Amino acid sequence: MSEKVRIGFYALTSCYGCQLQMAMMDEILHLLDKAEIECWFMVERDSDEDREVDIAFIEGSVSTQEEVELVKKIREKARIVVAVGACATQGGVQSWGKDKELSELWKIVYGDAHVKFEPKMAEPVEKYIKVDYKLYGCPPEKKDFLYALGTFLVGSWPEDIDYPVCVECRLRGNPCILIEKGEPCLGPVTVAGCDARCPGFNVACIGCRGAVGYDVAWFDSLALEFKKKGFTKEEILERMKIFNAHNPKLEEMVNKIFEEGE
Amino acid sequence: MYIPITVDHIARVEGKGGIEIVTSDEGVKEVKLNIIEGPRFFEAITIGKKLEEALAIYPRVCSFCAASHKLTALEAAEKAIGFTPRPEIQDLRELLYMGDTIESHALHLYLLVLPDYLGYSSPLAMVDKYKKEIEYAMALKNIGSKIMDYLGSRAIHQENAVLGGFGKLPTKAQFEELKRELKEALPLAEYTVELFSKLEQYEEVTDDEMVHMAVKPRNDVYGIYGDYIKVSDGFEFPVEDYKKHIVEKVVEHSFAKHSFYRGKPFMVGAISRIVNNADLLYGKAKELYTQYKDLLRYNNCFANNFAQAIEVVYFIERAIDIIDDTLAKWPVKERDEVEIKDGFGVSITEAPRGLLVYALEVRGGRVNYADIITPTAMNLAIMERHVRMMAENHWQDDPERLKLLAEMTVRAYDPCISCSVHVVRL
Repeated sequence: MSEKVRIGFYALTSCYGCQLQMAMMDEILHLLDKAEIECWFMVERDSDEDREVDIAFIEGSVSTQEEVELVKKIREKARIVVAVGACATQGGVQSWGKDKELSELWKIVYGDAHVKFEPKMAEPVEKYIKVDYKLYGCPPEKKDFLYALGTFLVGSWPEDIDYPVCVECRLRGNPCILIEKGEPCLGPVTVAGCDARCPGFNVACIGCRGAVGYDVAWFDSLALEFKKKGFTKEEILERMKIFNAHNPKLEEMVNKIFEEGE
Repeated sequence: MYIPITVDHIARVEGKGGIEIVTSDEGVKEVKLNIIEGPRFFEAITIGKKLEEALAIYPRVCSFCAASHKLTALEAAEKAIGFTPRPEIQDLRELLYMGDTIESHALHLYLLVLPDYLGYSSPLAMVDKYKKEIEYAMALKNIGSKIMDYLGSRAIHQENAVLGGFGKLPTKAQFEELKRELKEALPLAEYTVELFSKLEQYEEVTDDEMVHMAVKPRNDVYGIYGDYIKVSDGFEFPVEDYKKHIVEKVVEHSFAKHSFYRGKPFMVGAISRIVNNADLLYGKAKELYTQYKDLLRYNNCFANNFAQAIEVVYFIERAIDIIDDTLAKWPVKERDEVEIKDGFGVSITEAPRGLLVYALEVRGGRVNYADIITPTAMNLAIMERHVRMMAENHWQDDPERLKLLAEMTVRAYDPCISCSVHVVRL
């Protein structure tokens, strides 16, 4: 390709970690002769959300009416839209509050105070616009970015990962936290690609990369296993919803386990 | 009819905020920092949740200082359940925290602040002419990140710091590797001090009434953890009394509240730590402090950039000392059993950008009450005051120049807007 690829990185409501992860890659410097950054406020003062781009990376959840308008605008201006990280792909941890009404959350935090913006319940980007690709994780791994950028730059596209974290645990030879310690590890239903980072530190997976797609996230089987270990339905749902509150099948699958066996 | 001068989206800061300056024939009428990032209701969503799961979520308040959020929340939680970590675990947490500070300061100084002074719109544009500076930035950032990778599981959202200690500790060889690389990074940090000593601290925002707040460090070593807060007017208070002295108010143009001490705005951050605790510095940083004392001004927010440069030197040397202490006690056990009892705990630590408050009440293993106040939320009121001072001096200049100076004033505070939009129960 002779012309530079035009890139935009846009933030909705987030912790800015996905952008930080990309900005912190030493490899970002190698990208400069291949890409033109049209909009990336975190690093570039000369940024403009109205410019056309080839690839739009969007991080963050849609949490205000202004952000709804912004994602629609980005979709119009971009050839490819990539949802980056747990907030953009799954609504983020801020969606963990979905069990409460927005007005209740507002009251707990702001009381009766009024501000001039209109907040909304956090939603993934896909709820409002068509998303072409997703990079999973909170934050995504550097290799997720490198892989996606690499494929785009050669005119190809990144393949989705369709297997869970457990696969990587086995490859690394980690002991199984769920079986051996009885801890509620979400590895069996979570998208791989992190090289089983947390289980490698003896810490149970909290599911930050979201549920594996293609209908192979078996929340029901895992709920059954958790139930055997003594977890209640409430505890299981709560944990699975940290990063999967918007998953349409989760609740139904977990309920099934408790209806059958009660 | 004057059109307001606005920066819709301040570049090269963490999070989404804007500046609005309204002028008339007489001068500046209004200055507002608009915080336009959506709210995430962290306290509200974690209420009623299991303590361990809530602790996994708090770092997500902010990526630039995720370790600070994790470690402050952990300390508040452990105080609440009546658990005291072993000294060697406490030291290693401080080491993890310093990794965060070194990385955050390096990113802020080189990638967010320096381009303004050198006339670039972005650090990426500086690569050709300022290759050395960008390389130094990356190297300093990398050592901070590596400390967090080894001790925290990763540089953003550390899952390895848990109740009672760590899931797993680095190997002895990894500690030795960190020490070697910290030693290599020290001259780079000293160069950073020299570089930033040359940058202008704009007189327009000189403010002799400035008050600074910082943690009074435990064990009389300049650092991060403590049980009392020092104010530069001489007042001290225990962390448990924070609500009496840090008073928050909701303002209409922001999803983040503003904070006041005795009815007035105050500052927190690297310069506030140096103003309050310079006598506790040691080593190379102490020498540099003595050499550059005149630049570490209490009355100018631009001194915060320079203070961060001094701190990078300090925290690198301090990190080496902690690794030496750890290796002297090797092997170190990574974790102690904790029993989750009911209780209430407050922790205030020094995040890269200043005081970070966590107050947690635990009942039946779940979070019953949570209150978080972040450094940027505390700084918003005084930041707005200094942007106003800048505007009053430049309102008749070319609007582009005023915009840049207003942005630079905001950037000197190293604001973390995601952090500030978390908000607290009133």
